[in-house]
Amino acid sequence: MTTLAGASTPLRQCLELAGKDLRAEARAGEALLVTVPFGAVGLLLVPLAVGTDTPLLREIGPGLYWVVVLLFGVLVTLRASTVDGPAQLDLLRLCGVGPGTRLAGRALASTVLLLGVQALLGPVAVVLYDPDLSGWPWLAPAVLLVAAGLGVLGALADTLAQGLAGRTTLGPLLVAPLAVPLLLGATQMLTAAHYHRPAWPWLALMLTADLLTVLAAALCAAHLEEAR
Amino acid sequence: MTPSDARLPILAGVAVIAGLAAALLAPPDQVQGELVRLMYVHVPAAWLAYLSFAITLGASITWLWLRSPGADRVAAASAELGVFFTGLAITLGSIWGKPTWGVWWTWDPRLVTTALMFFVYLGYLALRRAIVDPVARARRCAVFGVVAFVQVPVVHMSVLWWRTLHQPPTILQPGDPTIDHAMLAALLTNLVAFTLVFAVLLRVRVRLAAAEDALEAAVDSRGRELAGDAVSAPKLAGSGV
Repeated sequence: MTTLAGASTPLRQCLELAGKDLRAEARAGEALLVTVPFGAVGLLLVPLAVGTDTPLLREIGPGLYWVVVLLFGVLVTLRASTVDGPAQLDLLRLCGVGPGTRLAGRALASTVLLLGVQALLGPVAVVLYDPDLSGWPWLAPAVLLVAAGLGVLGALADTLAQGLAGRTTLGPLLVAPLAVPLLLGATQMLTAAHYHRPAWPWLALMLTADLLTVLAAALCAAHLEEAR
Repeated sequence: MTPSDARLPILAGVAVIAGLAAALLAPPDQVQGELVRLMYVHVPAAWLAYLSFAITLGASITWLWLRSPGADRVAAASAELGVFFTGLAITLGSIWGKPTWGVWWTWDPRLVTTALMFFVYLGYLALRRAIVDPVARARRCAVFGVVAFVQVPVVHMSVLWWRTLHQPPTILQPGDPTIDHAMLAALLTNLVAFTLVFAVLLRVRVRLAAAEDALEAAVDSRGRELAGDAVSAPKLAGSGV
């Protein structure tokens, strides 16, 4: 916290907060040691429900991967290991850390963790579904934009549901319907690349969704500051 | 209830009767026959969903600006009505879709985005129910009320942005509406009637919310112990008092 108090610019404060969240995750292992295996179980269970037909799974595999990333990614953004208690929030306020910076720090940490989640679940999906990977260079922007958009949306929902009894059930309900442009963009971008159609409109959709989310978070963060 | 209070429900009742008559007297469609009469409820329900969520947006911004409890009540009441009318539009659309498209549900962009809008505002209502403190509830829901509105233009524009089974906008488009003028008159009459009914429901719900708040405040103040109530007068030893 001494480091935070010494961090003069909001950017440095944001980086310190993200580092703090990531260190907490490294100790608790909630996202990478619990949620990721749970996501892998999800990827394993779907074929048992829809049928273990290899051509079918090859076809629907990428879509299932992104659905799992979206649903389990929301759980990562709402992880309990980095919930700030009232005393921590008071201390952050006393250190001069604004609500926007706190939200940005949380979003940055979630984005980094979501990149890790996608990197770990990706090989699982490839092994289980054997999807056609043509057009794979488009995966790089898709992975980045999904992680960033979901990270910011999750941080916003986390702030909205802070301190509530049903936080972990309410948060996904708030995030999942708003994250649909990311799901559509990620799945359609690869499909378009696979069929040699222009993939950039889907990239533009994801970028627009991300920018709108960041804008909404930036505008709303100050209004979410609660006096106790 | 003052005479001016009674005027709106009477006006709404007259408009509903006129709307019903117009819907029944309007000519059947050349292709869809009598089924087209569903339009006179489906379209107003969809319009009221947009209107409700726009009012929620406006009231949310007003709360963030003025911190007025009345604005929070309007936002909440309007969102409740919006969810109801969105559900009604989806249900009627599904009933209409079965004989025309052959299925109750199809993965059409308009249908999917409308269902998403329904769930986004269900989330809004769930958030309201989860927070006990009225100021925290108003603040957080105002923020979400602003964020959630991004879904509304997406629903409206979905028929233009993507290839879709659902027909494009009939009235809200540049130029002469592409609909028979007798049908258009019936549709507009029903739009006005439903909007008046919405206004009545919104006013009743806002007043009910204000009464609930007043009751809650009264119960809170009655149940609270008075300061010093627990302190009894000191007894002097041997005084016999």
